[in-house]
Amino acid sequence: MNESVQYIYWIEHGVALGYLIAWYLWLISLAEGTHIVAHLSWLYYRSEDYRPLEKIGTFQPFIILALVPLFLVVDLGHPERFYTMFYHWHWTSPVAYGVYIITFCMISYAIHSYYLFRPELIYRAREKGPLQRIYQLTVFNRMEEGDLGEIRSRQQGRERCWAGVSLAFSFLGLIYLGILLSSFKGRVMWHSSVMVFIFFGFGICSGSAFLILLTHLKNAFVHTPFKALTAQRRYLAEFGIILKYALLGQAAVFFIYFVLLQYTGIGGRLAAQVFFDGPRAFQFWLFQVIIGLALPFALMLFERLRESILISCVAALATMTGTLFGCMNLFIGGQLLPMTNFRWEQFIPEPGKITFGIVTMAVMFIAFLVTYKILPYENMES
Amino acid sequence: MKNRHKAVDRREFLRSFGVGATVLAGGGLLLERPEMLQAAVPQKKYGMVIDTNRCIGCHGCTIACISENNVPEGYYRSWVKIAEKGTYPTTSTHFLPRLCNQCEDAPCLNLCPTGATYRTHEDGVVHVNRDVCVGCRICVVACPYGSRFVNPLTHTADKCDFCYHRITKGLEPACVDACTGRARIFGDLNDPKSRVSRYMQGRSTQRLRVDLDTRPKIHYVNADESIMGPDYYRLLSGRES
Repeated sequence: MNESVQYIYWIEHGVALGYLIAWYLWLISLAEGTHIVAHLSWLYYRSEDYRPLEKIGTFQPFIILALVPLFLVVDLGHPERFYTMFYHWHWTSPVAYGVYIITFCMISYAIHSYYLFRPELIYRAREKGPLQRIYQLTVFNRMEEGDLGEIRSRQQGRERCWAGVSLAFSFLGLIYLGILLSSFKGRVMWHSSVMVFIFFGFGICSGSAFLILLTHLKNAFVHTPFKALTAQRRYLAEFGIILKYALLGQAAVFFIYFVLLQYTGIGGRLAAQVFFDGPRAFQFWLFQVIIGLALPFALMLFERLRESILISCVAALATMTGTLFGCMNLFIGGQLLPMTNFRWEQFIPEPGKITFGIVTMAVMFIAFLVTYKILPYENMES
Repeated sequence: MKNRHKAVDRREFLRSFGVGATVLAGGGLLLERPEMLQAAVPQKKYGMVIDTNRCIGCHGCTIACISENNVPEGYYRSWVKIAEKGTYPTTSTHFLPRLCNQCEDAPCLNLCPTGATYRTHEDGVVHVNRDVCVGCRICVVACPYGSRFVNPLTHTADKCDFCYHRITKGLEPACVDACTGRARIFGDLNDPKSRVSRYMQGRSTQRLRVDLDTRPKIHYVNADESIMGPDYYRLLSGRES
């Protein structure tokens, strides 16, 4: 290998799967992480004041998972054949399982959300108003007797059952993302069991950050009752602690990943180089490490900073940017390693698809604000 | 105590009898219906040997493949990688004709979510069903040999299938037919009398990326180590060009 080799003729293969699929993976990890953080926090707090945040952390992931297949469909060569993935099932492919996992995850979020909203929906369906008919339809015209507390206690078993199911699917979804990438045995950067933990790290970091950011944005855009606002700010400040430790966990997982790459032969060392001083180095050091890890960790370190709305929003946005770039660095970087030649594979971003991604994310946020105006997110006095 | 001293106790006898009867019945069934045995083991195993000593790097195989399979411009089912090794005056030129390795444990086939990539059981050739392929490109990323691409005309995955339309009619793949130096030898690896099997006898062959355990069916004779895989050493030392 010390001999001089001049390449005369070779083929460049390029990067086959671009930003849109990396974005797709990030959005799934974000949705599932948000639900895990929101629901596990409910199990910790078990307070009525917390319930609006659990609703946000269940219904917004549902909106994301309902729209995220668009990212995949747009990237397909034959988008009109997308549905065939449900019945042309190939049992050795992780994606074949993923199609069902993500679908069932979305359905479980929808049912869990239904039980979370149901008592308030019944309450609203009883009141006369322009949307009364819609509320009656959402509860299938089954108007139960009693106040909110009684309805909630009657459905508690079903609500907690679906909460458990949706939580299980959330974990399954994050495991799926890890297994999906690690199943590519020819891709040295991905073919590692650490992938599962990396996606757990991405999920918990971006999930807690997303809950902080989304709730603060919601409070800024639409009216929230003062009492609820105060309670939610307290919880969001405490989410800052989760975010702090999640960032620490993510950094630890990446450290272990890079150590393992050093022991995975020359391919592993080259994969690590992609991040350190290779084609993704700028995105890795600036967006993933400085903006995505160091900055939010520093901002979430002290209680006073965590209580500041502006600072916690900056930290949350920085974390989400970091995990998004983390996902992209990993996904694109894994394809930059050449399979047959001696050069980094060329990656040409597609502006049309990036615009589509941004527009779809905006639609997800607008859908959330619209549902906030219609659905009873906040607690009601019975 | 008495039972323990028996040479064979009842349970052991029944277990041995059961296993024996199952083996005999299964064996008898296979002897009675040999097509069941044939279905379990492929009759043919199409493969190729490429003798790099005979390759002259004329790209005849590339051209023949493009014209035979209507491969769009800028894409290749088969190509030849060429490198020059050493410093003047002690240099040597090396050629490595590339194509789909028709792996026995093909990552592209395993990861295809719809089963559009499949293997014909009778000869082990890996195909793409264009009517089922959704164009997700997972197989393109999964292939460790860079042998797949998405055809811009059909928007589905595309790859070498040993010119299946030709080999099923008793012809040779277009690249084999066009090879000037007769470097490519195609045939049934399971048949000891086939040209490819006879060529492999007495010659040591190499395969690409054996570390991945994909069991490729393309064998190379005298391929130079430096040209067989991606040059990670060059990239790691920062010499990209």
